[in-house]
Amino acid sequence: MKYLVLALCLVAGAAQAETGADPDWPCVQRKQPHLSLGQMWSGPEPDETVRELARTPEIAALADRLEQRRLPLEKAEAEVAEFAKTADNKQLTALMVAIFDRIDPHRAALIAGIARYGNKQVDLAKRIGDHRQKMEEMQKAEKPDFDALDAEEEQLDWDTRIFQDRQQALTYVCETPVILEQRVFALARAIAAGLK
Amino acid sequence: MKAATAILTSALCLGFALPAAANRVFVSNEKGNDVTVLDSETLEVIGTYPVGARPRGITISPDGKELYVCASDDDLVRVFNPETMEETHTLPSGPDPELFVLHPSGNPLYIANEDDNLVTVVDTRTHKVLAEIPVGVEPEGMGVSPDGKVVINTSETTNMAHFINSETFEIFANVLVDSRPRFAQFNDAGNKLYVSSEIGGTVSVIDPETQQITKKISFEIPGVLPEAIQPVGVRVTKDGKKVFVALGPANRVAVINGETDEVEDYLLVGQRVWQMAFTPDEKYLFTTNGNSNDVSVIDVAANKVIKSVPVGQQPWGVVVAPN
Repeated sequence: MKYLVLALCLVAGAAQAETGADPDWPCVQRKQPHLSLGQMWSGPEPDETVRELARTPEIAALADRLEQRRLPLEKAEAEVAEFAKTADNKQLTALMVAIFDRIDPHRAALIAGIARYGNKQVDLAKRIGDHRQKMEEMQKAEKPDFDALDAEEEQLDWDTRIFQDRQQALTYVCETPVILEQRVFALARAIAAGLK
Repeated sequence: MKAATAILTSALCLGFALPAAANRVFVSNEKGNDVTVLDSETLEVIGTYPVGARPRGITISPDGKELYVCASDDDLVRVFNPETMEETHTLPSGPDPELFVLHPSGNPLYIANEDDNLVTVVDTRTHKVLAEIPVGVEPEGMGVSPDGKVVINTSETTNMAHFINSETFEIFANVLVDSRPRFAQFNDAGNKLYVSSEIGGTVSVIDPETQQITKKISFEIPGVLPEAIQPVGVRVTKDGKKVFVALGPANRVAVINGETDEVEDYLLVGQRVWQMAFTPDEKYLFTTNGNSNDVSVIDVAANKVIKSVPVGQQPWGVVVAPN
């Protein structure tokens, strides 16, 4: 039991040391709540006409398809190249805007999700501490209630396991916004390659 | 016979003339645990070689015979033969070496140890630690003056550039800069020191003589949120006229006039651009783009990105062989 607590403290300690004290952002990566179009696009600046174009069914449908991560990037790039054959710069910029306007909110929602994840871990760590304290008190009693102690210990074991599993998954969770950034950037490059 | 000789001579001349100054470009891939080697003329990948756990800082000896790699998670510097990419030996570095700088003579090596607030000085010939210099919290950037007399270390949390006397290993001046200084670079004349601040979003221009900040360069890119502009790597052309600053997740490299210290251009490169290296003739500048897993090649004279070359996972540092 002692070892478990020790291991837990180590895990929690390491996580803190690595990520700083912000429970809203438990990742090693720097927090960047929103992307901006200029980060990936140095083509024409989108004006009202372009924004209008971005909402037309043809471009909106293409953006919907390209945004999906299940569409392999190579296929997405091929679709962009196909579109670029006939599209002018305004249409290409509109496609960029349409894709950006889909991926950025998606990414922002993910980041909010990571904040909830981080906060849940903090709550769980606190609950584990509470269980431990309660068990210590129960053991100090003149006639300890061993059944209740067993139940408490079982709960502690579960919480600890969940905490550790989630902590391990954190690396992957933190990678997801990066994966979206990579996709929108790669698509931007493909679209920019088609500019006339 | 005469004709044959003429053909032979011209073939020989061609033979010597053709392979222009092709140099090897070495890129450390932090997540891939390897180094990608490129050819600076064909811009093709020559090969990828394992180099230890979490390679970050990378540099090469002035004679081009030893390649040094900070293997951060191995807590040492690994040294390779740049031709064969075989490991020849290791150097002690202290824990978590991130970035280092070589004395212009090729010895010693000054290493920033992020975790224990030290700069470790290592003799590259005897492989012994010469000194451990206590600096500010989270040391990171390392620079050295062209005459080798002054070593600069920046500490990310203390927000200072520490001026270290390379003979006595003592700090003789501290300059407060903006938040999270990441990199320090002198111009070749030695009369300007550029220190980038990642969170502050600025580059401080410091007069090394007086240790005073003479100018703070800030950056504005239309359509990019200010918090995405995070200056890291800095490189200056030999004539001091052009300064390149890598702007992290802004995915841009800023081109600065080295005389007026005004920003003249922003070049779109790859994602999360951190470090850069020139070819010896300064025809090209290579940038490491950690999130798009590629290297951008900038034509220095034209201020133009001419190519992006896919490398390994999370490229971090880059160095070009001098010969």
